[in-house]
Amino acid sequence: MLAQLAGLFMLLLATAVFVYYTIWTLFMPFVEEDHALHSLFPPRVWAIRIPVILILIGIGVVGSFLSMVMIKSGNKKRAKLAEKQGKKVN
Amino acid sequence: MTRATQTVSLLLLLSSLYLAAYLQLIPFPAKIQDDIIPVLPFWLLVSFGAYLLANLGWGVLTFRDTEDAYKELLTEIDEAKRDLRARGVDVD
Repeated sequence: MLAQLAGLFMLLLATAVFVYYTIWTLFMPFVEEDHALHSLFPPRVWAIRIPVILILIGIGVVGSFLSMVMIKSGNKKRAKLAEKQGKKVN
Repeated sequence: MTRATQTVSLLLLLSSLYLAAYLQLIPFPAKIQDDIIPVLPFWLLVSFGAYLLANLGWGVLTFRDTEDAYKELLTEIDEAKRDLRARGVDVD
């Protein structure tokens, strides 16, 4: 039940984002400046800034996750090596 | 021609077409040149992301759950883990 809801939410969110962004970037330039529609959209610079910011945040998240995993696996290896040395010496 | 070669050549073709449009080597009306062409890659990226999310959502929405196969899979995983541990493999 919850999964179905989550799936539906993702689908609707994706559609909404696509429609809004398409109208914002491809249709609004052709609408005159004093039309009421412009009140629904922020200034067009943000249509570039928001994706760039999201991409940078995404790279940061992926990079941090990767580093965490590599550090953990490095520690595990080091612990195993130390264990082996310990056993050999004893 | 491999699939990789095909994809790369298609990407190269589209990028060169876009670059020609961006550098004003192809004449476009001023409105389109100034407002639409610079924005096209971002639009493509956002639409691609929306498509991926929609695909995911649709897959989750129409997923067919099977309770028995799940239980069977769990027991098989346990068996495999026991077997590997018996042979000295470091499992989980």
